[in-house]
Amino acid sequence: MTISVAPGPDTQEGIRTGTAESTDSLTAPDIPWNLVIWNDPVNLMSYVSYVFQSYFGYSESKANKLMMEVHKKGRSIVAAGSKEQVERHAVAMHGFGLWATVEKASGGNDGDSRKSGKSGGPGQGKGKRG
Amino acid sequence: MAKAFKYGLKGITGYLEPAERDLLRSLIDDVISMLQPEDRTGQDPLAALIGLDMDVAEPTDRAVRRLLPNAVKDDGAASLEFRQLTERSLRETKIGALRAAALDLDKDEIVLTPEGARHWSMALNDVRLVLAERLDIRDEADAEHVHRMQDWSQAEDVESYLALVYNFTTWLQESLVQAMLQSMESRR
Repeated sequence: MTISVAPGPDTQEGIRTGTAESTDSLTAPDIPWNLVIWNDPVNLMSYVSYVFQSYFGYSESKANKLMMEVHKKGRSIVAAGSKEQVERHAVAMHGFGLWATVEKASGGNDGDSRKSGKSGGPGQGKGKRG
Repeated sequence: MAKAFKYGLKGITGYLEPAERDLLRSLIDDVISMLQPEDRTGQDPLAALIGLDMDVAEPTDRAVRRLLPNAVKDDGAASLEFRQLTERSLRETKIGALRAAALDLDKDEIVLTPEGARHWSMALNDVRLVLAERLDIRDEADAEHVHRMQDWSQAEDVESYLALVYNFTTWLQESLVQAMLQSMESRR
């Protein structure tokens, strides 16, 4: 599976995160919130990639890269934006059956350091069916 | 036997035997009944109108909690506030997708638009999430264990029967998602 991030619709990572919400980013220049997707042993890898492609408009390679990050690291930040934006994404992800949480972006940190050693999430460190 | 979903000229098509359709219909009905919001008399009608639900609480049933998870990790208060604002419409979204899929089960051949396929994939996913909770699938090893159950003659008890049903819905969803990815590819 290729993990190169193709240039194109996903080059404005973190801002262009959804459908018809681009104007929101004008009022949220500092992008302080992250949308996190957690691993679980039920959701199909293909389905997770489909959701990332169809909902966020990510390229196949970017969607697969994020999906593999969820699968291998237990979690991945798949979008960022204002609190309202990431909350809207979280509801949409729950609609698809993915386990999403919102969290405040910790400055400079991509947030993934949190996963190591930290327990508690039912999906943590677990694989997916594929 | 069911046929895997395929993407072709007519869109996404699939075929299920009557017994398989009955099975899926009852699974879907089960999930719908789990998601049906309680009818609360005396609720603030204005709040209900705009989708607010101040009486909402974190679900006690594990499967329902997996369908309607907390949105803020390790923060019950923030998760509850999120539920008050969003849970009602999330339940309705899920029930809508499940009902749409159930309606398609009335025909022999299933022909899906991209929208219909999306509803089906969401419905099958929710069915699988509930079955997985009932089967206690907590990690990849559990999933592997369940996945090994492929032979219907092995169905001796409720758990093995559930495992076979889970594997059937997994197979069906995988074939559907592959067809959806193909369809998306061809529209690019």
